[in-house]
This record gives sequence, structure tokens and C-alpha cells, in this order.
Amino acid sequence: MIQNIWLVPLFPLIGFLIAGLGRKQLGNAAGWIASAAVLASFIVSVMIFFEVSAEGFKSIDVHLYDFIKVGKLDIAFEFRVDQLSSLFLLIITGIGFLIHIYSIGYMKGDVGFGKYFAFLNLFIFSMLLLVLGSNFIIMFIGWEGVGLCSYLLIGFWYHKKEYSVAARKAFVMNRIGDLGFLIGMFLIFAKVGTLDFQTLETLSFKGVIAEPGYLTAIAFCFFVGAMGKSAQIPLFTWLPDAMAGPTPVSALIHAATMVTAGIYMITRAHFIFSFSETAQTFILIIGLTTALVSATIAIRQNDIKKVLAYSTVSQLGFMFMALGVGAYTTAVFHVLTHAFFKALLFLGSGSVIHAMSNEQDIRLMGGLKSKMPITHSTFLIGCLAIAGIPPLSGFFSKDEIMMNLFIHGTYGKVFWVLGMIAALLTAYYMFRLYFITFLGEFRGGDKLKSHLHESPALMTMPLIVLAILAAAGGFLGIPEVFAHDAHWLHNFLTPVIEKSLALEPTIHHLSHSAEYIMMAVAVSVAIIGILLAWGSYKKFDAKKENKGIEKFFEDKWHWDEAYENAFQKPFMKMSAFAEKNIERKGIDGGVNGIGKLVEFASDKLRLLQNGSVGVYLFLMVLGMILLFIIQLLSNG
Amino acid sequence: MGVLMRRNAIVILMCVELMLNAVNLLLVAFSTLYGDSDAQIFVFFIMVVAAAEVSIGLAIIVLMYRKVQSVDINILNRLKN
Amino acid sequence: MGGMLGIVAAAILGVVMMFVGLISQKSSVIRIAGVACFLILVGVTAFDFSAIHEQGTQLYFNNMLSVGIKASWFNVLISACAFIYILIFNNHITKVGKNDAEYFALMLFIMVGVFMLSTYNHLLILFIGIEILSIPQYILAGSDKENIKSNEASLKYFLMGAFSTGILLMGITLIYGSVGSFEIGNIATAFQGEVTALPMIGVILLIIAFGFKVSAAPMHWWTADVYDGTPTAITPFMATIVKVAAFIGFINLFHGAFGNIHYSWKLTIAILICVTLFIGNITAVFQQSVKRMLAYSSIAQAGFMLFAVFALNDTAEKSIIYYGVSYTLASIGVFAVLIKLKDYTYEGFNGLGKSHPLYAITATVCLLSLAGIPVTSGFFAKYFVLTAAMEQGLWLGIIVFAVLMAAISIYYYFRVIRAMYFTSSTEEITIESNPMEQILLVINAVLVVLLGLFPQFILG
Repeated sequence: MIQNIWLVPLFPLIGFLIAGLGRKQLGNAAGWIASAAVLASFIVSVMIFFEVSAEGFKSIDVHLYDFIKVGKLDIAFEFRVDQLSSLFLLIITGIGFLIHIYSIGYMKGDVGFGKYFAFLNLFIFSMLLLVLGSNFIIMFIGWEGVGLCSYLLIGFWYHKKEYSVAARKAFVMNRIGDLGFLIGMFLIFAKVGTLDFQTLETLSFKGVIAEPGYLTAIAFCFFVGAMGKSAQIPLFTWLPDAMAGPTPVSALIHAATMVTAGIYMITRAHFIFSFSETAQTFILIIGLTTALVSATIAIRQNDIKKVLAYSTVSQLGFMFMALGVGAYTTAVFHVLTHAFFKALLFLGSGSVIHAMSNEQDIRLMGGLKSKMPITHSTFLIGCLAIAGIPPLSGFFSKDEIMMNLFIHGTYGKVFWVLGMIAALLTAYYMFRLYFITFLGEFRGGDKLKSHLHESPALMTMPLIVLAILAAAGGFLGIPEVFAHDAHWLHNFLTPVIEKSLALEPTIHHLSHSAEYIMMAVAVSVAIIGILLAWGSYKKFDAKKENKGIEKFFEDKWHWDEAYENAFQKPFMKMSAFAEKNIERKGIDGGVNGIGKLVEFASDKLRLLQNGSVGVYLFLMVLGMILLFIIQLLSNG
Repeated sequence: MGVLMRRNAIVILMCVELMLNAVNLLLVAFSTLYGDSDAQIFVFFIMVVAAAEVSIGLAIIVLMYRKVQSVDINILNRLKN
Repeated sequence: MGGMLGIVAAAILGVVMMFVGLISQKSSVIRIAGVACFLILVGVTAFDFSAIHEQGTQLYFNNMLSVGIKASWFNVLISACAFIYILIFNNHITKVGKNDAEYFALMLFIMVGVFMLSTYNHLLILFIGIEILSIPQYILAGSDKENIKSNEASLKYFLMGAFSTGILLMGITLIYGSVGSFEIGNIATAFQGEVTALPMIGVILLIIAFGFKVSAAPMHWWTADVYDGTPTAITPFMATIVKVAAFIGFINLFHGAFGNIHYSWKLTIAILICVTLFIGNITAVFQQSVKRMLAYSSIAQAGFMLFAVFALNDTAEKSIIYYGVSYTLASIGVFAVLIKLKDYTYEGFNGLGKSHPLYAITATVCLLSLAGIPVTSGFFAKYFVLTAAMEQGLWLGIIVFAVLMAAISIYYYFRVIRAMYFTSSTEEITIESNPMEQILLVINAVLVVLLGLFPQFILG
């Protein structure tokens, strides 16, 4: 089967062509065809996965054809099949399939139904290419394709101007990242003359690229690429804006797959990052900052999708922290669990939005528990998972990241504390969202209330499947303390990154009791977060923030006020500060400023072209003279 | 310099021809220096091509003159920025 | 005789085309004759290629022409591109002015110049080639006689072109003055190690003259005005095929004759690249007319192609051919849609995605290729020239600069795509579409992608 790996990306490509060309004729069938294409790839991926997980499997490069062969440049169109790529294949096609099914229900009646599925399939295709590529070039093709599809899907409802602006912003940010990727590629090529992962790994561990400065430069360039795609500070502002697209798209692209491309790439290129401590520390700090800043922003958002978006950014920060300490398997583990629970949360929110007739403001929701039982219970599972309550999946992966932080170097404990704060915030904002949306009274008015309904089975089925995965996914990586050698994922991935692992300390350095204590701390932090949220938002009143202080006193929750002063207000202030200064002024301002500068220069340069031949000739001769002077100076 | 300073398209054309003539002279001089006849043949070709170029150029200038009643190059600024 | 049949055929066909114009005034006859002429040209060059493939490099006329395998392969590709251009644009060309047949004839004569530039082995042929390339262009630029803009473009192009001819000749003369021969091989053997000032000035003059032809800054001033003023049916021919041919001439001369003293002019080219990329990309950002934007973008693309001249190795020679073909096809695709619209501003493209999805999608593919997004050939074209430059050693600065500039170019290419898909039009766009043309555009777009997937076809 492995030799037929090309089938996996082929199916979505065919699906894209059929759904794209025949979108007028096919009608609703386009959705089913697209889903079937992804299902077919999923089946092939499962078969490949079983072959890969067999004992003693060694990675295979499946050679399709000679792509480019000029001079020193020799690039083959090859797919690399190993434990890492087969795992990602499962995530992409599996979750991709669920989201396709869900989309059939969600997008029903949309004018661009066929176009939507064509784009979705094209996205899956690019993502598969990214994951399967056996060298940086193929990976880059997928990398760009993914960015392009994301652009198309964010701007899908383009008649709203802000949406197309969001799409453009996402594209620009991604492009900045891609620049890093490209330059990194050129740097590697200039040094060793190859871009093949296998060859590079061998060369790297032989110490061919050993100059630390050069290596750090390469690692840094690639990390810039990862920052763009995986929405890290300072290139993260596009992701929340990207929520303009249809909700299933947010689930697929902006939670489960595309944003993890950066993590995948760094794991794939571990042979570069493991050698550069500077780059690793940099990744760690960026990850940590991102996790904290976006968690604080998430606290204050009132748009259900925005909360989830910032939460995604924050979780990605966690993954980068893991990469920063060289815990590649842990990062992949979190990618996996995050893909489950975040896709679940997004689809759940999609279901809510669907019921609310496209209203996304949580202040207008509330009390949805009784109206939408399935959505409610699955959403609750998602929240518990992301908050890190055992035995749901989020607990295991987050705990592992924390553990790795704790034992990392001199400042490991500081990082651990900061990470814990981020975890606390996570639990807080997620349960704030949950309480406001599902508990209490409905605040959306009678008209909407009569409308409320549970979503059709097409949409709830994926939710249930994802909920089961989100609940049970953690058992793929049971920590050493509970059972010896039970960390299936770790064992599975070890062959891929074996050599890098030898360079890093492992969790085993920690005593069992210390590990138990840390787990207890983590769980209690999560519970504290939930309780805080419960205290503040159990009886949420949308008007309260504006005027309702008197009403507030009648509620007999006298301690609520103290509570608000002690926790809620500082949180809110922090959040407002982070949003206003860091995001809007700092980053958006910076990007816009560069744009303005280019436009300014363009405007001025344009005026030189004043239409007069005399002036042109004069400028040309001036240029010639300058060239002469430079030439003579450089030679003399 | 004539090309740069003049505003009359015909005069500019004449100045370009002067440039070509300078090249011709230089080629002939080098030709005697090396005792090689290649350069002299080159000169003939330059003359032929220059003649072709001038005929086209004058046609274009006449066309322009019919439109704007002037051969001043600074009038030509409809295409800019 | 195999090898230079292309030149002969192009010249004869040009004359034939003029006679066709005498015999018949019907535009349909002329169009069919024009397409047939270019088809024959493709056939003849292909025949040349197979002959060269068997016999190896051939020399003609006292070593004045040397037809090698690369040159004849380039001839096949460029005539194929010209054929595609003629197929798509033939009915637009006949709408430009009154003398339909002559436009085709002039283009065929330009093809003579193109073939000369790819095969010359003697500076005289280089000079004649460039002139045969340029003089018909002056006429073509002014072919819309009623339109004053077209006249202006023609005159501007002519005045500046004549000036650059003078510079070219001066360069050639100085080289001759220090070597005593016009032959490329002799010049190469004479120039080794240190060079004195006299030939050095000659080399710079030649760089400037070629820089003018390929519209490299600071000799680019004519480009935007001329491309803008020239009838839209003619512009793509000038912007693509002619420009690519000039590049082949450029790299042939500098690789063949001045390759041994590469070190001495490398810096000059590097500066040209930076200035060209900067001016081309930055100025393109603020344009309101898509046609003018494309003119500036062609300057920017020239900046990338200059990398091949900068790198000057085997990869570079192949990559310039690849770049040329990919750029030509993509530009033709965009112009083919542009010419259909009445309004050349960005607003003119509004809502095209909805009203004419096929035109919009082909234009999108071509724009993506120009912007250098992977899978399309444009990405690999850029990638190849940059890798070729990388092999030259660590000139990382300009490569980073080039990549940055490519990122800026995304902005203005995507503005068109955004206008087509993400904005809706206030007024209905009316385009007369015929199925034949649609099929051609689709084929063109598919070619752009296929070349990206199988670059080996051209490079091999």
C-alpha cells in the first residue's frame, strides 16, 4: 500500500476538479462527492498507518518522478512515509472528513455550495502535500497552497468588505512567514546543496552544517515561517480575523490542520533546531508570550468564535513551548489532542451559531443547555478537555508540556509558573464562554428564542465522534508514572526523531512523587480557573457591565463584588491592555505602517515618470554615469 | 549632448546620427590599426541600418506632426506616471 | 542546412505575409494566413532542432552564426509561444488598424531578429539582430495611427531606442578596438584575468544597451509609457517574446564573450538587479491602470531574469529559458483577459469572477504564476534563477532583497484577483466571448500549471 501513497492526495484533487468544474450541475451532490474523496484518502491513510505501525518499520521515500534536475539542483517528486507523516495523514483526512460531513449540513442553501467544497478539497490536497513532501520544495508547495486556500475560504463571503480585508490580512501575514521559509531554504541550499530531509538529517548529524551562527540563522528563518502559519506573536493577528470565514473552515483550517503546519515543519526539521540552542530559546519565549497574551485577550471577547480563535493562538503557544524545549513528541501529542477538542469546540460553536441564525455575540445567548442538549454536552466535554481536567485528552498533553518545561534548564521553573498562569487563564475563559452561552437565561429576544433548535444529525454526528476522541485521545500518551512504557505516541514517533532525542534530557529525571504533585497542581489550577469563571458568570447579565449595579446588589451575591475587584477587573484590564496595545497598535500598526511606506514610496517614484522624453533621457544618462563611477571605483 | 539638450525631435534624430557617425569613424580607425577589413564591412552595415532607422523615424515624426502640429518632444506627455 | 532554416523561413514568411495583404483585404483570410505562418515557423524550428540534435552544433557564414542545441531548443519554444500568442490575439490584431497583414509580417520579421539573437556568434549579427528586433517594434507601437497615445508611444520608443543603438555600437566598437575581432570566441580568449579600462567601458556600454532592451532600471523609462500607449493587442508581444529574446542575446554575449571576466562586471549587474526590482515593484503598487501595472511588473520580472545574467552558469542558462517561457505564457493569459475589458483600471475587473468565471479563473492562474505562487511555473522560474545565483556564492543580501520584493509584488497582482472575486460590479461587464478563444485560454492556463509540475520538460 505504501507504494500507492500518491492515492492519498490524488482523491481530494479529483474531488476538487469534479466539485469545481461541475459545481453548477451537481448541486448538493458536490458536497457528497467531496466528502467521499476525503473518506477515500482516509481509508488509504488508515491502511498505510497500519503498515507503518508494524514492528521495525523504517521510513520510506516513495519516488514519483524526477521533478527538477538542473546543474546542482536535483529535486525529486517524492513522498516521505514515516510515523510522523502517517499520523498527520490520519488527523488531516479523519478530521477533514468529519468536517466535510458537517459542512454539508452547515452550508446548505449557500450560493457558493459547490465552490466551497472545491476549495475545501483543494485545501486538503495542499495540506497532504505539505505533510508528505520528502524535501523542502514539495513541502513549500503545500505550504503556499494551504495559505492560498485559507485566503479563498476566509474571503468566501466576500460581499462583506471586512471579510475580504481579513482574507488579505491573513495572506499578507502568511507571506511574511513564507519569506522566512524561502530564505531558510536558500540558506540550506547554499550550504549543502540539497533540500532532501533524509540527506539533510544525515549531513546535519555528521556536523556538516555545524557553524552555530549559520545554523541559528537557518533555524530562525524557518521559525519565522512557522510563526506566520501557526499564528505566533507578532504574526498572529490574522487568525482571529480569519474567523470571518464559514465556521467549519475555522474548525478545519484555523484550529485542526493548517495552523499546526508550523509545528509539523519544525518537528520535521528537528535536525536543524536541535542544534541551535539560541533558536530554541527564542521559540520557547515566543511560545510563552503568545500563550499568555492571547489567553488574556480571549477573556474579554464577546464573539464566540473570537474566543475560540484566541484560544487556538494560545494553545499553539503551548505547542511551541514544547518545541522550544526539544520535546517534539509532546508538541505533536498536543497537536493531536488539540485537533480533537478544538475542532469539536468550533463545530459546536458552529452549531450554536446555526441555531442563533448567524448571531455570534455570546451576550445574546444563554440557557442553550436545554434547547440544544447534544451540542451542549459535547461542548462541555471540549471545554473540560481544553481546561485540562483528567482524564480528558487535554490534561495529558498539557501536563506533559508543563513537565518538560519544569525540567528545562535553570529557568525551567519560571517558565513552568508562567505556563501554569496561561493554563489558569485557559480554564477561566473557556468556562466563561460556557457559562454565558449555555447556562442562565436566554437573552436574545423572543423572536430568536422561538427559532432555537438542535442542529440536524449531519452536524451532530461529527460532534459526537469528536467528543469521544477528545475525551479518550489522551490515552495515546499515558505518562510514565501511571504505567511503564505506556506512552504509545512517544514510542511510535521515536524512530523519526531518535537522533535529536539523544540531545535532550527526558522526563525520567523527575521523581514520581514530584510528578504527582505537579499533576495535582495542574488539575487544581484548572479547577480554580473554572470556579473563578463560575463565580463571575454563573448569573451573567449582559446589561450588567453597562449599568445594572443596583440589580447586582439585589442578587445577594455580595461577595461577587469583591470578587469582581479581585479577579475579574484585573483580568479585564489586562485583556484590554493586551488587545489595545499589543495587537492593535503594535502589530497591526507595524504592518500597516510598512504598507503605508511602500505606498508613499510608490507615489513619489511614480512622479519621476513625468512623460517627457527629455527627462527620461537625462535620467538614463545620469544612471549610466553612476554605473560608470561604481564600476570604476570597484575595479580601481 | 545634443540628444539631451534639444527639444526638436528631428534635431535629436540628427544628433543620434552623429553618434553613429562617430562610431563609424572609430571603427574605420581601428580597422586600419589592426589591418582587418571586418570593421569596414561593419561600417557599411551600420550605414544601411541607420538609413532604415531614419526612414522609420521620420515617418513616425511626420505622423506625430499631423496630430499636434509640432515636433517638440515636450508636448508628448499624455502617457505618464 | 538544418539549424538556420528558422531564420530563412521567418524572413520568407514575412514577405509572403505582405503579399497576402496585397492579394486579399479580408481580415479572415489574413488571420488564417498569419496563424498558418506561425504554425509553419514552429514546424521549421522543430525540424531545425531535430537536425541539430543529430548533428551537434553547426556554424554558418564564416562562424557568424553558431546554432547549438540550447539555442535551437529555445527557438522552438519561443516560436511556440509566439504561435500561442497569435492564436489568442489574431482577431484583436486585425482590429488595431487598417494594414492587417503588415502587422503579422512585422512580427515575423521580429522573429528573424529573435532567432539571430539566440544564435549569433559575431557582434555584427548581434547588432543586426537587435535592429531587426527593434525597428518593426517602433512601427508596431504606432500601429494605431488614429490614436495619439499610440503615436506618442512610438515616437518615444524610437527616440530612446535610437539612442540606445548608439550606445550599443559604441560598446561594440570599443570591444573591437581592444581585441581586433568581432567573434565571440576570440573576444573570450582575449579577455582573461585583468582587464584594462578601454574594454571595460565597452562592457559597461553593452550592459547599458542591453539593459535598455530588457528594460532594466535605470534604463527602463520608456517601458511604462510605451507599453501603455501601444495597442493592447501588440503589447504582450513586445513585453514577452521580444524581451525574452533580448535576454537570450544578453546572456549569450556575457556568457560567451565576457564569462572569463565575470568578476569585473558582477557588481554592476547586482546593482542593476536591485534598482530594477525596487523601481519595478514599488512603482507598480500605485498604478491605477492594470495595463500600466503590468508594464511595471514586466520591469520587475526583468529584474528577476537579470539574476540569470548575474549567475552565469549552466543552471542560469536553462533557468532563463524556463523563466522566459513561463513569464510569456502567464503574461499572454493576463493580457488576453485585459483586452476584453473596456475599462483598464482595477475597477474594470470588478465582479468578473461572477459574470465570466472562465476568463477570471484563467487570469487568476496566470496572475498567480506572475506572482510566483507554487505549483504554477512562475514560482519555479523565480526559484531557479535564485538558486542559480546562489551557486554563485554568498550574495545573500540581494537574494533576500529579491524575495522581499517578490512579496510586495503579491500586493498588486492580488489586487486584480480581489477585484475579480471579492468585489461586485456596479455595471454589467459585457464581453463577447467565443468558445474557441475560451478553449485556448484554458489550454494556456493549464500549460502554466503543467510547466510548474513538470519543469523537466523545458529544462531537460
